[in-house]
Amino acid sequence: MHNGSSDLTALIQPGRVHRRVYIDPEIFELEMERIFGRAWLFAGHTSQVPKPGDYITIELARQPVIMIRHSDNSIKLLFNRCSHRGARVAPLRSASAPRLVCCYHGWTYDSDGTLLNVPVPEGCAATFDKRQFGLSPLPRMGIYRGFVFTSLGQTGISFEDHIGPMKSSIDDLVDRAPDGELALDAGRHRYVFEGNWKLQVENVLDSYHVPFSHASTVNDKGVQFARREGDKAGAAVVDADKNRTAAPWKQRRSYVSGNGHGWTSNTLLDDGKRSSPAFDEYRRVLAQKIGAERARQILTPRLHNSLIYPNMSIMGLNIHVRVINPVAVDRTEVTIFPVRLVGAPAAMNFGNIRLLNVTHSAASFVQTDDLESFVRVQSGLRSQGGDWVDISRGLGEEEPDRELNATRELATHEMVVRAQYRAWLDYMRGTA
Amino acid sequence: MDAGEAERFLFYEARLLDERRFREWMGLFAENGTYWVPAVPGQESPFDQASLFYDDRELMQTRIARLEHPRIHIQTPPSRTAHLIGNITLEDSVTLDEYAVASTVIMVEYRNEKQRIFAGRQHHRLRREGEGLKIVQKRVDLINCDAAFEAMAVPI
Repeated sequence: MHNGSSDLTALIQPGRVHRRVYIDPEIFELEMERIFGRAWLFAGHTSQVPKPGDYITIELARQPVIMIRHSDNSIKLLFNRCSHRGARVAPLRSASAPRLVCCYHGWTYDSDGTLLNVPVPEGCAATFDKRQFGLSPLPRMGIYRGFVFTSLGQTGISFEDHIGPMKSSIDDLVDRAPDGELALDAGRHRYVFEGNWKLQVENVLDSYHVPFSHASTVNDKGVQFARREGDKAGAAVVDADKNRTAAPWKQRRSYVSGNGHGWTSNTLLDDGKRSSPAFDEYRRVLAQKIGAERARQILTPRLHNSLIYPNMSIMGLNIHVRVINPVAVDRTEVTIFPVRLVGAPAAMNFGNIRLLNVTHSAASFVQTDDLESFVRVQSGLRSQGGDWVDISRGLGEEEPDRELNATRELATHEMVVRAQYRAWLDYMRGTA
Repeated sequence: MDAGEAERFLFYEARLLDERRFREWMGLFAENGTYWVPAVPGQESPFDQASLFYDDRELMQTRIARLEHPRIHIQTPPSRTAHLIGNITLEDSVTLDEYAVASTVIMVEYRNEKQRIFAGRQHHRLRREGEGLKIVQKRVDLINCDAAFEAMAVPI
């Protein structure tokens, strides 16, 4: 058994982790209990349930959950489980239903989970108290600028302490909307892969893999295809003459701030030449709403990717929100929401959707090669050819960034992965 | 256009895909042609919702260049596919200079020891250009379009 703290500690060493953390089903069960069963998890965005009675259903730590807007406009997170015999009461991925009626015996709940009606009430025991039989709410909930987080644990780090260092990453995205809010109402991309959830989590801040994993997206000058509305070309990824990682890529930095969170610095594309009819109109609308100087600041992105550990990331280039959902030790589902900037011209939002289709759909040019890497890692780690996964790049070269209250390192190093394993160990040992 | 011409065109298109002649396949599209695989059933528009594929000529060009690239990992080894096109019907076209053809498509894909099936209804809007027909839009509505897919590399 691996339950003991000393056993777990032995799996995480300076600059390396044991392959069992990716392939051992017992460790996966512990992760579901101790990480996903306790940590603050991204559940959804308030824009997904715009009107009272609107709900979405999701899975958190493999448990069915409803996010619903109540008649008083508040957001409720409820376990999707009838209090009678246990059936899921919300059957659809998204729907609008002012009352949740169980399909089995007709128990009926209000949108805050209150049990309203039990058919054939004379059959209930004399001591039966409807107030004791509502849908169970999730233990804790926190909302920041429409982003709804929840913890399945009764206790633990406060929402404020968890989200605090990552608020600027959410702000960086939301502030791009002329109306100061965004909506996750532009559909979703869904993909699944035969690999451990941590492979996806580690990848979102990995600036080392790009020239190699994504070689097929780069032209003979080493430049990737344009990924943002208004860009004429993408980033220089490979130094074409020398067939090496392009120089600007090597100067980029990554940052960590505790709790497993992290982010990488800007997109290398802010040359001031970004222009298209849709982008120019968007820039004009944004400046009109919030002032030219503030618009200029916002359109000079500071961040590329951000990870809000353990299940959510934000990308600032092809703007989207990504949710990572572990299914089994070797199976992970991911949902990617295009971000609609409320108040932006429809053509600008289409520009984002159009390019996200080719960067992050299940049939995209970029994500698919990452998925191939994840699958090959998962199968490669079955070998006895080596017990350790190396994450030592830049070990000892981390330096404090006092302005950002974070620790930084070159983004082609692996500090962010080591930081994720520090948080992993804290959760797994119960010291988070 | 009669049913026979529509059938010959669809069979030829399917053959190009199965033989991985992607550049010739792209050549079947009109300059302003689009290839669309919606991500939700009955999706009304590609402009305000995510799609599995929504390629205009520019994106299709990038997609084909990548499929031809020697270091496309998701096609190492490559997919092998077999398309079956049936239930072909001529529909009412929305414009006078276009033909509308609906059909059912089944594509079986084999790659890396795994086989999977895609199935759905497809709609071609075709226009006569010179001797031949060009695709103004090809839309494929997969029956499982809103499922979570393992990575897909080749067009359906």
